[in-house]
Amino acid sequence: MTDRTDPSSAPASAPSTSIPLASPLADLLPEGLADCLPAAAAATTQAMAAALEAMDLHGYDRVSPPLVEFEAALARRMNGDSPQRMFRFIDPVSLRTLALRSDITPQIGRIAATGLRDAARPLRLCYAGEVALIRADQLDPTRQRLQLGAELIGSDTVAAAAEIVILAVEALKAAGARDISVDFTMPDLVDVLAAGPMPLQAEQIAAVRRELDTKDAGGLKAAGGDAYLPLLYATGDIERAAELLRGLDDGGALTSRIDAFEQVAAHVGDAARITLDPTERHGFEYQSWFGFTLYAANATGALGRGGTYHIVGSDEAATGFSLYLDPLIDALTGAIAKRDTLFLPQGHDRSAADRLRAIGWRTIAALHDADDAAALGCTHRLIGIDVQPV
Amino acid sequence: MPRIMPTFLTFAIPKGRILDEALPVMSRAGVVPEDAFHDKANRSLSFATTRDDMRLIRVRAFDVATFVAHGAAQMGIVGSDVIEEFDYSDLYAPVDLDIGHCRLAVAEPAEGAAAIDGASHVRVATKYPNITRRHFEACGKQAECVKLNGAMELAPSLGLAGRIVDLVSTGATLKQNGLVETRRIMDVSARLIVNRAALKTDPRIAELVNTFRSLADRRDAA
Repeated sequence: MTDRTDPSSAPASAPSTSIPLASPLADLLPEGLADCLPAAAAATTQAMAAALEAMDLHGYDRVSPPLVEFEAALARRMNGDSPQRMFRFIDPVSLRTLALRSDITPQIGRIAATGLRDAARPLRLCYAGEVALIRADQLDPTRQRLQLGAELIGSDTVAAAAEIVILAVEALKAAGARDISVDFTMPDLVDVLAAGPMPLQAEQIAAVRRELDTKDAGGLKAAGGDAYLPLLYATGDIERAAELLRGLDDGGALTSRIDAFEQVAAHVGDAARITLDPTERHGFEYQSWFGFTLYAANATGALGRGGTYHIVGSDEAATGFSLYLDPLIDALTGAIAKRDTLFLPQGHDRSAADRLRAIGWRTIAALHDADDAAALGCTHRLIGIDVQPV
Repeated sequence: MPRIMPTFLTFAIPKGRILDEALPVMSRAGVVPEDAFHDKANRSLSFATTRDDMRLIRVRAFDVATFVAHGAAQMGIVGSDVIEEFDYSDLYAPVDLDIGHCRLAVAEPAEGAAAIDGASHVRVATKYPNITRRHFEACGKQAECVKLNGAMELAPSLGLAGRIVDLVSTGATLKQNGLVETRRIMDVSARLIVNRAALKTDPRIAELVNTFRSLADRRDAA
């Protein structure tokens, strides 16, 4: 007998084969991974179906890429540090490295560049699926998330941006988000300004970007970005922020951009509150002229982001968004109304039960005389052909 | 019609070093704690303010950044050392309050720290393992950090680590413990910090940021 029978003395990292079934460690899930129980699963199904329907109604066709791909192919279409954050392993068949997807967007880019290369443009695709990260974000320990989104491939114009923002807002609303606000940003702003009216040395650009990202006024001065300081405060509701930005833009380098942003905002109209934060670049590493982040009053933190970009490899223009609904689903889980459920006793009238299901009743059939209708969550009972409250 | 403000704003401030200097700045911006805040015997952690939509919480400096990054508090005041150490992506530091000045520096015994260093790594006692690791990495050295929460100055003399990375204001503490400052990592001052999502979605936050900023501008102009 080893001391392993005492759960408190068994290290958490002990191999599972050595943990006896009776130990609480036998069923421990790794950090950042969790079971989704009925209430949360119902909320997820409902939110996901509603969001997918909203996208379908606007003519977006759903595609489902695989969970696992060759790592090199997937990484080639990704930017930043994301390739390092995928679970990777060796394929026993091809002996090449495989990766579990951490983002579906590059897969949609691949589909547009390969299987649907000859499909008419603009191509409207949407998707929903699980993604996984080998290491969680700093503030959110979750390592598996549901990603939903849409891509409009072949266009990155003002009209495309407006369609995608409106679609994202409608999908979020359908999923249950309230008081949505959309924060616009100009991902390539520093490049435009550094090349023109606010020159920076090549080696300064990264530091200035970093301080603009954290809106660190003190740090920005220290990095030699004094000229960029007013940009930190040209934020807020789009009318005000656009006006402030125009005031800062002496040479007119930004005029066409500001006009385009105002046009997108005009298209969106009252569907959402629109704010502008020209310097926000965090999470927009691969976007071109337009980016946006989505927030809602009944969920903490961002619910998704999107923008215009070029598909890596084929260099085709595209506009799209991704939603991560988990914070919203957490908020909705408690709010889902308990559904009426009909208890069918043993020996009940099967054709009556069939008719009731056909008109929308949810039923639970007794397997044993002792089955307790109330304990099983039933609100009604079938007696003969009558429905009576429990 | 006054806007109805349904939710409380929570403002996090650090215990200790920065607090005394921060209170006058906050009061000029209209953030004034109730009297109980100044009562040394009061063990509360949360206090009302003269604004009925805002409360203050008083926590450790490192926790100010954590509360604000997670959105549990919408804004706060903290040193740039703490911001740099966490490097939270959801934290903005839009106003340099120009108070709580000091510096983060490397210090070692006057006779040097070679005795305890390895060939390719240095051993450092610090409250700032991330900044320390990044700093030495940039010099091509791997830093093995021993995380301490205070009294770093003891570590070299007791052989725990060859050097320390800590805040220095006058240098008196270093001197008393036989240490000399060998390199300055960063200048530190207190910053107003806000949660990214709160700034984007709650107009009251943007208003307060503007108030703090115009106070800072007036100070710079003076």
